[in-house]
Amino acid sequence: MKQGANKKKVAVYTATGCRTCEHAMVDLHYEVNPLTHWAEVVFWPYLLGSAWEDLNGEGRVDVCFFAGAVQTADDQAAAVRLRDKSQILVAVGACAAFGGLPGLANLSPAGPEPEAAPEPSPEMPPLPPLLPKVLALGSVVPVDYVVPGCPPTPPLLWAAFQAVAGLGTAPARLGYAASRLPGPVAEALAAGLLPPRGSVFAGDKAVCASCSRVKEEKLFRRVLRPYQAYEESGRCLLEQGLICQGVATREGCGGLCTAVGVPCRGCFGKPPAIVDPGAKMVAAISSTIDSSDAEEIACLAEDFVDLAGTFYRYLLPSQCLLMATPMTVGKHEDHNP
Amino acid sequence: MSDFEPKIIAFLCNWCSYVAADAAGVSRFLQKPNVRVIRVNCSGMVDPTYVLQAFALGADGVIIGGCWPGDCHYISGNIKAMRRAPLLKKLLSELGIEPARFRLEWIAASEPGPYARIMNEMVDEIRSLGPRREMRATA
Repeated sequence: MKQGANKKKVAVYTATGCRTCEHAMVDLHYEVNPLTHWAEVVFWPYLLGSAWEDLNGEGRVDVCFFAGAVQTADDQAAAVRLRDKSQILVAVGACAAFGGLPGLANLSPAGPEPEAAPEPSPEMPPLPPLLPKVLALGSVVPVDYVVPGCPPTPPLLWAAFQAVAGLGTAPARLGYAASRLPGPVAEALAAGLLPPRGSVFAGDKAVCASCSRVKEEKLFRRVLRPYQAYEESGRCLLEQGLICQGVATREGCGGLCTAVGVPCRGCFGKPPAIVDPGAKMVAAISSTIDSSDAEEIACLAEDFVDLAGTFYRYLLPSQCLLMATPMTVGKHEDHNP
Repeated sequence: MSDFEPKIIAFLCNWCSYVAADAAGVSRFLQKPNVRVIRVNCSGMVDPTYVLQAFALGADGVIIGGCWPGDCHYISGNIKAMRRAPLLKKLLSELGIEPARFRLEWIAASEPGPYARIMNEMVDEIRSLGPRREMRATA
């Protein structure tokens, strides 16, 4: 393995988010060590305590892994700064890719600025100003690659690391990820080339395609929450009345949650064939409702709680037809902040 | 009176509601010009995505017209539409679209009068609601 001068310079940053994506990177276990042979982390505030000044000395950064949604003016400035500094910008995790959980704030009407903020002190620094809307990274600056998930699963994250921060050598231990990734990405990866720009490190189909449960004829009778009733019968969770979003979610995870009886929450975003995941879920659930009586159906619909927060849990700012902010397009060279 | 003219998208089924709309014209019922009709084979083929897409592209209201239950040309297509409507209406209202802006109506081929009345009613209702409000200003 080559060493030293050829190492790729890597930056890692989280804007508004819980930093679990950063933990996921460290959670690559045995792969973390080989990673250091070909990547040199030059900026990682969370793990290395890096300051923004540390970036001044560096020339161009090869790859930046950006996690977290863009909610404050500081997030926006960080996104623009890291975009300008980096050759390749990767949105890691549902927040950076789609807006994520913080994006649900867009559902509340914008209120007045919080009043009577405490006097700023070293212990209590002032909050940076909030943007009018929470945004996905791609709505602020052009993004080259997307690694979805909350957090991204280790095989796909490792595949992404090798694809964009590797040295162009044939990758190691990719069996699982290669079988899940769409053809062009898997091929580029195996050949040690950069995958097509804009690639998503996940599958092309819906989670149902890789879910291990038995799917019979669907009849939706009543809405249940996972704690209310769960019988390990190995049958499709949606059929059992649990709101599983596998039908409207991109695969790649391999059905990890559904395999252990937890309904899919949709953290990989929508598959390319679906226009709006919320509408898809309405269609998937309601066309299988086991009733032909208008009143009975209306009663059943009443039992659903927080549809918008459920169906668009991770992707309201970017993939909800009615609330999405368009993505920035164009190559980053054309981008003038 | 404001000069707001609502745009209403009407998905009408080929066998009942569209025929009613046709007959309403032939019968010279007075109709407000705010309705844009899209003919579909069955109300059951109107995917919730179509409705969301219509709103996303700037419609102020969406109405789906189908055959009365029991009269569907495809036996049960309208029942499928009926199952989707309550949940879709709920999702729309959570996304800031008032319930009055989305309707599912049964209009038989022999009901041009009711067709004209329902459409005019909806136009008036949405006119009084005014244009759609954004949940949050665009950044």
